Parts: sequence; structure tokens; C-alpha cells
Amino acid sequence: MIKSEQRQAIEELVYRSCLALDTITTHSAEIKRDMVWLDHDKKGMETLFTNLPKHNSDHSPLTRHATVYTVDLAGSEANVVSALQVFRTQLDGGATELFAVGRFHDTVKLDGSTAKLVKRVVRLETRQLGYGYHVPF
Amino acid sequence: MGRTAAEWSAPPKFPATHYVDSRLYTDEAIFNEEKEKLFRPSWIIACHESELPEAFDYRLFTHPAGVPLIVVRGDDAKVRAFYNICPHRGNTILYDPSGNAKRMTCIFHQWSFDTRGNCVDITREEQGYQHRVSKKDVGLREVKCEVAYGGFVWVNLLDDCVPLREFIGGALDILEPYMQEPMELFHFHKAHVRTNFKLWHDTNSEFYHDYMHYFNRITGMLQPGYFERKYTPFPNGHATVGSMQIQYDKYEGSKERAVGWPKMARGGWYMVDLFPGMTYNLRTSVMRIDTSIPLGPNEVLIEFRGLGLKRDTAEERAQRVFDHNTIWGPFGRNLHEDLLGVTGQGRAMRKGTDSRWVLQGREENSTIHDEVGMRHYYAEWSKRMGRPAYDPY
Repeated sequence: MIKSEQRQAIEELVYRSCLALDTITTHSAEIKRDMVWLDHDKKGMETLFTNLPKHNSDHSPLTRHATVYTVDLAGSEANVVSALQVFRTQLDGGATELFAVGRFHDTVKLDGSTAKLVKRVVRLETRQLGYGYHVPF
Repeated sequence: MGRTAAEWSAPPKFPATHYVDSRLYTDEAIFNEEKEKLFRPSWIIACHESELPEAFDYRLFTHPAGVPLIVVRGDDAKVRAFYNICPHRGNTILYDPSGNAKRMTCIFHQWSFDTRGNCVDITREEQGYQHRVSKKDVGLREVKCEVAYGGFVWVNLLDDCVPLREFIGGALDILEPYMQEPMELFHFHKAHVRTNFKLWHDTNSEFYHDYMHYFNRITGMLQPGYFERKYTPFPNGHATVGSMQIQYDKYEGSKERAVGWPKMARGGWYMVDLFPGMTYNLRTSVMRIDTSIPLGPNEVLIEFRGLGLKRDTAEERAQRVFDHNTIWGPFGRNLHEDLLGVTGQGRAMRKGTDSRWVLQGREENSTIHDEVGMRHYYAEWSKRMGRPAYDPY
């Protein structure tokens, strides 16, 4: 049974991680396949961000909003599923629109009341992303 | 020095073949005419055969002329295409974008059709029609359909269309050596962007915009052989781009595409742009196909497909997926930039902005920064539309 302080630590971790980011997958109803759209380890992710200033983009910021749904304890780890909404705000005028919805499937390592993110898979429901984006969710 | 309104509106000082009128991208009447004159008579890629591996597998496709289609593999393994319109009351027959259906049954009144287009059941037929209607008279509308050029499913709406081979006119010969092995789809997504479909095709038809792509500059433009890549025009508005050796390892985070492609030289990259809005793009380890479905003068849905080889091992497939996503996925380095570029054109050229001309005047002996690919496209556009692209009114 998960303790309330552990759940609190996990929730805080998920919410904080909305400010940072991993693997993005989705299921295509058109071709009946799971697809991987982005898959980087920590080094790959660092490189991706290091390269960003060399690329062109519209620089519209993203806001991620997550809600922790379920926390299933398995030994010293927990499998956590959270709902995710990503909003995109245009620089000119500041209009915000819903960009994507999906779920975080996180593996979290617990040490007492400390929680560390071991693995994250972003499972997107939204598959139409307009002109796309360089920054993963 | 800036220009006055009169100077801005004056035709460019180029031959008339080297620029087009911006209103080509915004005019509703021209757009409707394009659907009839360009898309309806053309062969269009609806999907790939690997999307229909089993008998009765189907795939929905909205034809660029506006017609909703069902592409289905029959009990005899043949792929056929039909209107996704019930002959009874005009309802949509199939709703899910793909599936497996021995019988295609309209949910409205349960009229049912087999995968050869025959009507096989009319509910309460005798009571309602008293033998006045025969099932053979209410079959589905079938359209021409062929599987060819790498296993792609091509459709044509006209009963008396030109043969597919005549339409392609040799433009895909450059890829024939690389399409001998069966391919398999691993990626599909659609992008809905506010721009004209021709602007997307233009982007695929010129490489001068490599200045927009850091990835392409570092792996291509700065490498030997880049400025020798050549365009070759083909009949019916198609064009090809010759290969070079792309240095994928020059981009940090990328590496040589070691998984390669059968018979293709290391780092090779061929492109074939097909009129009026499709592109084959074979970049060493991945085949990408773009199909444009215009929705309005300033609105297009682009279908993107990524394919590897059917015989891929899990490791090979994973590498192809990684290579694809690095530049071509929805989070890829290049696709976002390309789509952003044409969205910017759509914004600047939308009705009322006083955009007037688009220049296509670069001449570099048909090499990579020459704009001959676009000029060739608009020559065909002008011929089929019966309007010169530089003066469409």
C-alpha cells in the first residue's frame, strides 16, 4: 500500500516534470500500428536541446498540464499514469490553443519519501500536430 | 530602397515562365477548377499495399478532388477502390479509417456490399421494392485502382483515364532499382496546415530553401557533390532530383545511416515530385511519401508515410524509425521547418495581403538551387488549367 507522503512525492515529481521532459509514442487508428515518434536517452535529449538554437521555429511556448490518475506500487518502484494536456500559445497576440492530449506512463523509483523519475513514455492521443514542433512534450 | 505600390504590382523583370501570380494560391474559383482539372484526371496514391495485408482489409482515403474512397483487398487478394457513399441514401458506409470487412454494411438502413462492390443485401427488399429494384443495379461506384511503383495503391476517378504508366511517364524510373524489394509502412501522420497545396509541392520541388534547414546545410550543402545534384523534368509536370552522398554524421546527435537501402550508394538521396501533389523521397534508410489533399485555397491536409523493408529485423526497423524521426517525424528537425515555411507563405499570401508575385527565376544549369522544378510544374499547371500561371485572368 502506498503511503500518502509517497503519493505526494510522486505527484510533485510528475508536476515538476511538466517543466522538463522522453519517448513519445502513439497508436495510429489509420494503419493499426503503434508508432514511435521520438526516442532519446538523456544524452540524446541534451543534444536535441543544444541544437535547438540552430534551427528555425516559431518559438511559441508550450504549457504542459498533468493530473496524476493512478499510482501502482511494485516493490521500490511505482508505475504512474497521468493525464496530459499540452497548450500552445502564439507569440503574436498570445492566443492559446489546445495542442495535444495524451498520457504520461512513468516509472518512478521510491526511496522513503523521495521519488525519482526512471522512465517516461508519452502516449499521445492527438496525432495531428499542424506544423509540428521541435520540442518534445 | 523600398518600392512603391505601382512598382510592387508591376510584373517581375523575368521571362513570364519565371514567376507566377500570387492569386493562384488564394482564389476560390481557381481552387475549384484545380480539383476538376488537375486532381480528378490524375492518378493519386491512396495508401500502400502493406496497409492492406489480409483479405477484406480496407483503408479509407479522401481523394484530393473531394471524393471519399474505400480501398479494400478482396477475397481474391485484388485491391479495389470504391466511393464510400451508399447508393441508397448517400450515407457514409465505413467510418473507421481502417479495418477488416467481409461485408461493408451501411449503418443507416443496413444495405450491404461485398469487397467487389456488389450489393449483396437490401433489407426488406421484396416488401419495399416488389422486384422493381435489382441488386446488380445498386452496386458501389468503383474507381480505377492499381498497385504499382513500390507497392503503392494508385486510384483514378475517371473511367477513361490514361494508363498509370503513361501518367508517370518514366519519372519513377530513377527509383526502380530501389523498389524491387517489398516495403512496409511504419509511419503515418497527417498535417493540417493553412497554406495552398502548391506551396507544399513547391517546397518539395526546390532545394534553395536548404538555407532554412541547419540539418541539410551541415550534412548536405557544405559537403562535396551537393551543387552537382540535378533536376530532370518529365512529362505531365513530374520532376526528379539526382543523388549525392549525404554526410549524416556531420550533425551532432545524428550518425551515418548504416542500415542503408538495397543497391543504394552510401548516404544516397533521390526525390521524385509527381504532379499535382505527391512526392517520393528516398533518403538512404527510409522511403517517405507525401500526398497532398487540398481542402481550400489556403488549407491543405498532407499525408506523410514512412516505409522500411518488409524483411527488416527488429533492430533494422528501429534504426529506420530513428532515422525517420530525426528529421521527418512530427518532432523532426526538418519537417517542422518545412511546414512552418509554407504556413508563413500561406499567412503572407492569404487573400487581401497584396502579395502579387512569386519568383521562380533561378537558373543554375538545372542543378540543385535552380528553380526549374517549379517552373516545370507551373508549365503543366498552365496547360491543364488553360490559364498562364503568370497571368491567370
